[in-house]
Amino acid sequence: MAEDLNWAVGGEAGDGIDSTGKIFAQALARAGRHVFTSKDFASRIRGGYTAYKIRTSVEEVQSVVDRLDILVALTQRTIDENLDELHEGSAIIYDGERSWEAEIPDEMTAVDVPLKSLAEDAGGAIMRNIVALGAACEITDFDVEYLDEALEKRFGGKGSQIVENNKEAARLGQEYVAENYDLEHLGYSVETTDNDYVLLNGNEAIGMGAIAAGCRFYAGYPITPATSIMEYLTGRIEDYGGHVVQAEDELSAINMALGGARAGARSMTATSGAGIDLMTETFGLVATSETPLVIADVQRSGPSTGMPTKQEQGDLNMALYGGHGEVPRFVITPTSITECFWKTVEAFNLAEKYQTPVFLVSDLAMSVTEQTFPPEAFDMDDVEIDRGKLVDDDEVDEWLDAQGHFRAHAVTDDGVSPRAIPGTVDGAHMSTGLEHDELGRRTEDQDERVQQVDKRYRKVETAQEEEDWDYREFGDEDADNLIISWGSNEGALVEALDYLEDDGIDVRVISVPYIFPRPDLSEEIEAADDVIVVECNATGQFADLIEHDVLTRVKRINKYTGVRFKADELAEQITEQLSAEVPAQ
Amino acid sequence: MSSDVRFTDFKSDKQPTWCPGCGDFGTMNGMMKALAETGNDPDNTFVVAGIGCSGKIGTYMHSYALHGVHGRALPVATGVKMARPDIEVMAAGGDGDGYSIGAGHFVHAVRRNVDMSYVVMDNRIYGLTKGQASPTSRSDFETSTTPEGPKQPPVNPLALALASGASFIAQSFASDALRHQEIIQEAIEHDGFGFVNVFSPCVTFNDVDTYDYFRDNLVDLQDEGHDPNDYEAAKEVILDSDKEYQGVMYQDENSVPYHEKHGVTEDMSEIPDGAPEDAMDLVREFY
Repeated sequence: MAEDLNWAVGGEAGDGIDSTGKIFAQALARAGRHVFTSKDFASRIRGGYTAYKIRTSVEEVQSVVDRLDILVALTQRTIDENLDELHEGSAIIYDGERSWEAEIPDEMTAVDVPLKSLAEDAGGAIMRNIVALGAACEITDFDVEYLDEALEKRFGGKGSQIVENNKEAARLGQEYVAENYDLEHLGYSVETTDNDYVLLNGNEAIGMGAIAAGCRFYAGYPITPATSIMEYLTGRIEDYGGHVVQAEDELSAINMALGGARAGARSMTATSGAGIDLMTETFGLVATSETPLVIADVQRSGPSTGMPTKQEQGDLNMALYGGHGEVPRFVITPTSITECFWKTVEAFNLAEKYQTPVFLVSDLAMSVTEQTFPPEAFDMDDVEIDRGKLVDDDEVDEWLDAQGHFRAHAVTDDGVSPRAIPGTVDGAHMSTGLEHDELGRRTEDQDERVQQVDKRYRKVETAQEEEDWDYREFGDEDADNLIISWGSNEGALVEALDYLEDDGIDVRVISVPYIFPRPDLSEEIEAADDVIVVECNATGQFADLIEHDVLTRVKRINKYTGVRFKADELAEQITEQLSAEVPAQ
Repeated sequence: MSSDVRFTDFKSDKQPTWCPGCGDFGTMNGMMKALAETGNDPDNTFVVAGIGCSGKIGTYMHSYALHGVHGRALPVATGVKMARPDIEVMAAGGDGDGYSIGAGHFVHAVRRNVDMSYVVMDNRIYGLTKGQASPTSRSDFETSTTPEGPKQPPVNPLALALASGASFIAQSFASDALRHQEIIQEAIEHDGFGFVNVFSPCVTFNDVDTYDYFRDNLVDLQDEGHDPNDYEAAKEVILDSDKEYQGVMYQDENSVPYHEKHGVTEDMSEIPDGAPEDAMDLVREFY
């Protein structure tokens, strides 16, 4: 297992916790180290405990662990909240000059730094967090110059004086610790490499994937934790001729996106559970009008308003079954931040190839987690665009009926009809949520009804045959123990393999990025002695699907505390489950 | 765009199922004539319709069209126009669709000032569900769900539009064919959101707001010498609950449509075969 360092900064919301953490994460990435971040935050603007955690190593890290080595504590609560993760070798940086007296357990190393005074010496109290970053550099023997680049990136727009002041603040923090403490016995040092990494989160990857895939129109309504997709696209999509509209509500957002898509633009909306409820009204229309649309659901804790700033994977059934009547749709679940990018690209292609709504189901853990990757992980040369059966002026003719009407919903062998967008000569046609004939005109004719329903489902059959509904695999392919997972649990599972290996337990991990259609896992399940399905919800929505597919019972690991799985915790639970009885039939 | 487009080119071969005498026939004829007269053809026109008798209008017209979900015509039309500033966009619906379930969207579409026209067939009743009170029904109008009348004032859609910052507000009468067509034409030609409330009588369920009632009571603002660019005069006419008016009540001469304000000019349906050439810049931003 990699020698990793776990660092955190915590305080009250509004203390600049997020930007402080991000600056340190960027400095570590610039130093060629891998970084995996996680955030604790409350659903409020100011006040309330907030923390930004970084796990860093020269090897790839893709999970959080139950250990904290260096903690920058701006409040007592920061220390209290993290007591479980602190250990004898932990160093806690705090400001002893502040009105509170830090209660730090005896066995840990208290590093009292006058953060505020030193920040004032550098030009302003606001930089006290940067002083703390300098102090952290000294404790970890990390060259403070790596911070400089991150500070330039962060404050460059505010002028060189601000940048210089921040650099000075960092150095004052570093020098203070060097002069007043001898911390070599803690043994922290962070190795650097020559690698260049990019640092980004899942929502940024979805936004980037959307632009790469040719998405030009986005309509959305702000909601945690999906908003940052809209924020990413705003200010960037315009560079590519696109536009973002902040709609008045989610109903409007999905209908605007639907309008954009019918006009021929690759269009998208994104929201989270509560917003998906409102958008559900329009799913059926998107599907029956055969409109290509990507709908991202960045899941958070439900039901109702639930815990808006906490992790969960509880919307799977909603994505699969939401909406009245029977509606074909694709459900894709990226399993990592790079997959957030690539599956978004794929979602747009599937939407247009099959003229169907595509759910892109992500979750809060991925949306707020930043991770380092080699830039080639997002190689734009590998982006392919498939617009399906989009017809131009010359191709329209083959799809006109005897009276010269365009058969926008033509019944075809593969279930996919030709698609004409406004401006295409002779392509004018009507589409509707009402049942319709080949021309899109409403009908209640029994034969036409059956033809259209069959046609829409035939698209799914075609897609099942033509596309790779594959899975990702880790661990020992021949192991008797099979773990199945979907969405963001993959990273923690991959790292849990190391812990299990140490205990002599061989495990095969299958990580599924497609829920509908999904890969047939019956052979893999039959070959295994023990099958455990891991997911962040209480009822095991994916486990239910697996049991339905293979007609056999599986074991389950469910977490619904609002916090994502940790690698070490998962390893423990897997070990426990392996010796447990399979639930009764 | 061909110059020989006739209004019948906008007609579908589907026979309307509206009741004989329904105001929506006249409303639709005016829309088709206005579209043809303003130089549009079915291949560059997108009509978005709501739900209800009025919502069927898209089915009886020939153009690119979407018949959507109750109350959501305006968001769909907004999406079409943003993606395709080159396309003529018209939204159509009824008083229930626009001022009840879709009232929120109406307010925001008006203030967004997207360049489209919006035609509301206002018959002051729910027709397709067989005669319940609508948001524009009179407060004493007896229906199956309001046996003693709604006992609440009707929505004044023109005032709602004015309060929301509308750049074009008009009202017409489906039966006054020429004036109706002229007013719709002005809405189409307006740079921004062209809103027209059309009195479109329901001959089956509304025996109060009838053709005769409007014929007898309608005042044409053109005859009154009303200046639509005069905001104060518009306010007076719009808030006057004693009279029924037709004509353009208000038009902001300086109206700049949403897409122009936001610099949207491109046809968004055109995208490269792969990622855009400079897309690696998006990745480098995360260094």
